[in-house]
Amino acid sequence: MRRLLYATACAFALAGAAATLAPTPANAAPWNIEQAAAPFKGTELNVIFLDRPGYRAIIKLLPEFEKKTGIKVNYEIVPYENTREKEVLSFNSHGDLTLALVDLVWIGEFAENGWIVPVEKFTSDPAITDPNLNLKGFFPLLLDAFGSWGGKVYGLPFDNYSGLLFYNQCQLKAAGFDKPPATWEELYTTYAPKLTDPAKKHYAYALQSLRGETQSADSFMRVLWPFGGSLLDKNFKSNLESKGSQDGLKFRQSLLKYMPPGVVSYDHSEAVNALAQGEVSMITEWSAFYGTLTDPKTSKLGDCLAVAPEPAGPAGRLPALGGFSLAVAAQATEAQQKAGWIFIQWATSEDIARAYVEAGGVSGRSSIYEQPDIKAKYKFVDPMVASWQKGVPEFRPRFPAWPAISEVVAEFGSKIELGQISTEEGAKEIGTRMESILAKEGYYDGKKALLE
Amino acid sequence: MSHPVTRHNPGYGRFTPLWFLAPAVVALLAIGIYPTIFAVVTSFRSYNITRRQDMLGGFPFVGFDNYVNALTDDTFWQSLLLTLKFYLTVMPLQIVLGLAIALMLHRPGLAFMRALARVALVVPLATTYAVVGLIGRLIFNREFGVANQFLGWFGIDAWDWLGSPSGAFIAIVTMDVWQWTPFVSLIFLAGLSMVPVEVEEAARLETKRHWPLLRYIQLPYMLPGLTAVLILRSADVLKLFDTVFVMTRGGPGSATDLVSVYVQRVGFKVFDLGLGSAQAILMLILTVALSRLYIRLFYREVQ
Repeated sequence: MRRLLYATACAFALAGAAATLAPTPANAAPWNIEQAAAPFKGTELNVIFLDRPGYRAIIKLLPEFEKKTGIKVNYEIVPYENTREKEVLSFNSHGDLTLALVDLVWIGEFAENGWIVPVEKFTSDPAITDPNLNLKGFFPLLLDAFGSWGGKVYGLPFDNYSGLLFYNQCQLKAAGFDKPPATWEELYTTYAPKLTDPAKKHYAYALQSLRGETQSADSFMRVLWPFGGSLLDKNFKSNLESKGSQDGLKFRQSLLKYMPPGVVSYDHSEAVNALAQGEVSMITEWSAFYGTLTDPKTSKLGDCLAVAPEPAGPAGRLPALGGFSLAVAAQATEAQQKAGWIFIQWATSEDIARAYVEAGGVSGRSSIYEQPDIKAKYKFVDPMVASWQKGVPEFRPRFPAWPAISEVVAEFGSKIELGQISTEEGAKEIGTRMESILAKEGYYDGKKALLE
Repeated sequence: MSHPVTRHNPGYGRFTPLWFLAPAVVALLAIGIYPTIFAVVTSFRSYNITRRQDMLGGFPFVGFDNYVNALTDDTFWQSLLLTLKFYLTVMPLQIVLGLAIALMLHRPGLAFMRALARVALVVPLATTYAVVGLIGRLIFNREFGVANQFLGWFGIDAWDWLGSPSGAFIAIVTMDVWQWTPFVSLIFLAGLSMVPVEVEEAARLETKRHWPLLRYIQLPYMLPGLTAVLILRSADVLKLFDTVFVMTRGGPGSATDLVSVYVQRVGFKVFDLGLGSAQAILMLILTVALSRLYIRLFYREVQ
């Protein structure tokens, strides 16, 4: 209840902030980015990008921004697993990063440590703020989950994902199914037996489960929420021994017989490749992999590829939610902060949303997905938009303790999946260690608000 | 009567040797001693660079808390035991294979082939650890890896190497043996080349059997090399990270969670640098203790 109240309060605070910070297009004045950026001509911004479609898309569009503004954006492409490490070290040593790329699960850590600047610092300055900024134009779930902490907006949603069911409709049709499974139960009882043939090394489904964030976020957490479970209860104690959590974890175990034997060592690339090469019929993956699955160079699927929302569980459709926002780093100089804010507005703006999507990015702006040609061209749009209507911002807790907890979940989540320990034993082990981490962080002695 | 003339070299003074030594000493202080002292100091502090209360408190001293936490941490002990198991698996393999290769290369004849083999031995050593890990991922890939191709030739079904705990452990052992056996064989080869030719020839006249020759003539010359191998490989296995991280990230489960992978996680994922430093210092103490033990047990000067 307390968490619900807090979430409601946050939602109101956020809505209030969005309303006051962002002038709507109706009362918007013409925005001249060249003029706004003129005082910062020659300013250099440093940011970390990933080797993913959303970043390749913005890199394609960067020359246009640099030509208009004279602001230079230096980017370094870093593997995801090293990104937080690089950013934390830079923020601690007053390094050269002027912008922060913030994964949804880092927002609490970055905000509480004062490493990123709330956007209210900039929105109050009309000289550098686009009157068409329109924060309400972002999907509320994305702005809340990726960019906000404690009721304040810090970053704007930039590289946005939803978990989707990608499937091979030709294989499903051959097995007698003309639509994808609507629920996990249906996937397990009806679809999986008919689509699995170990003799032919063909399996119904693959769930990427490699130890690391892939195990903790993509595999373990994915089966908690739809089955009515969660990592923590309202008092921030472990909820993994609850019926919902145990149901979800046991379901994952039972589904293993319909998955390729080595799935516990599958990262995203292996799961996507298994579908792309026709070895499995269904995967639940991030929307960002749509490009890989439609590219004839990396996928055999062609017209057989189809996309649907993730199956629903007894608690409803609560798909995986992930993505990154861009925020201004507190360690940047005043000029860099202002130039950075201009860049962030541009990169996430409605103005470039079409170009960004056509270049391979996934915009967080809702208006672009209302365009008929975009909906027709990109099969993932409808299921993704449906997934973003309702979701759990704390799909993975976004507090500073998550990285430490993620490591624990990854270790024991893999052990459960391998059958080395039972779901009950695993839940107990994770719970004990997780509560010890949270106690050290001060969540149980009232020193910290129970924010996730 | 002539006196010996002492020629004064204008550029040479009392401190000249010190100037020659200074760059090496400064470099050692900067990249060896200072970080070690810093790690020792950090290990006595609550030093998490993502925990606000630590930062605001100026990373307070906590005495031996981090050492107590490290020594009472089950995962640390499990990873240390796994590292010991890994070491006890790879070392005998590397010593036996390295010795065999060294003895083959020591035999007379085929000079060109031997020279070529010596150069080829350097290739695994010169390969970056992360690249070894990437090669390992390809070799042990379930679908298209050469390891399963090899098993297929003998009618054995494809095995899920990296997806099963024992398979993943065998995979990292194999890659370590591939990378470090050449080093062991080169060290042994150097030892064999120290055996005086006349002693070896005299022994060959005494016996045709290989074992006595190896045991009483060649082995004594290889013992200092063996000691060096044991010391260097102990330190190396305790800090083996890149290959394992790239191949398995310590998984599946904790099947390949060597102590260095665990310490890296504590230091650079959780950012608990105090605990991470305490664990690293404990590993340093272990390495020094093992080195002393090896020297006492194995090191013998040839009489």
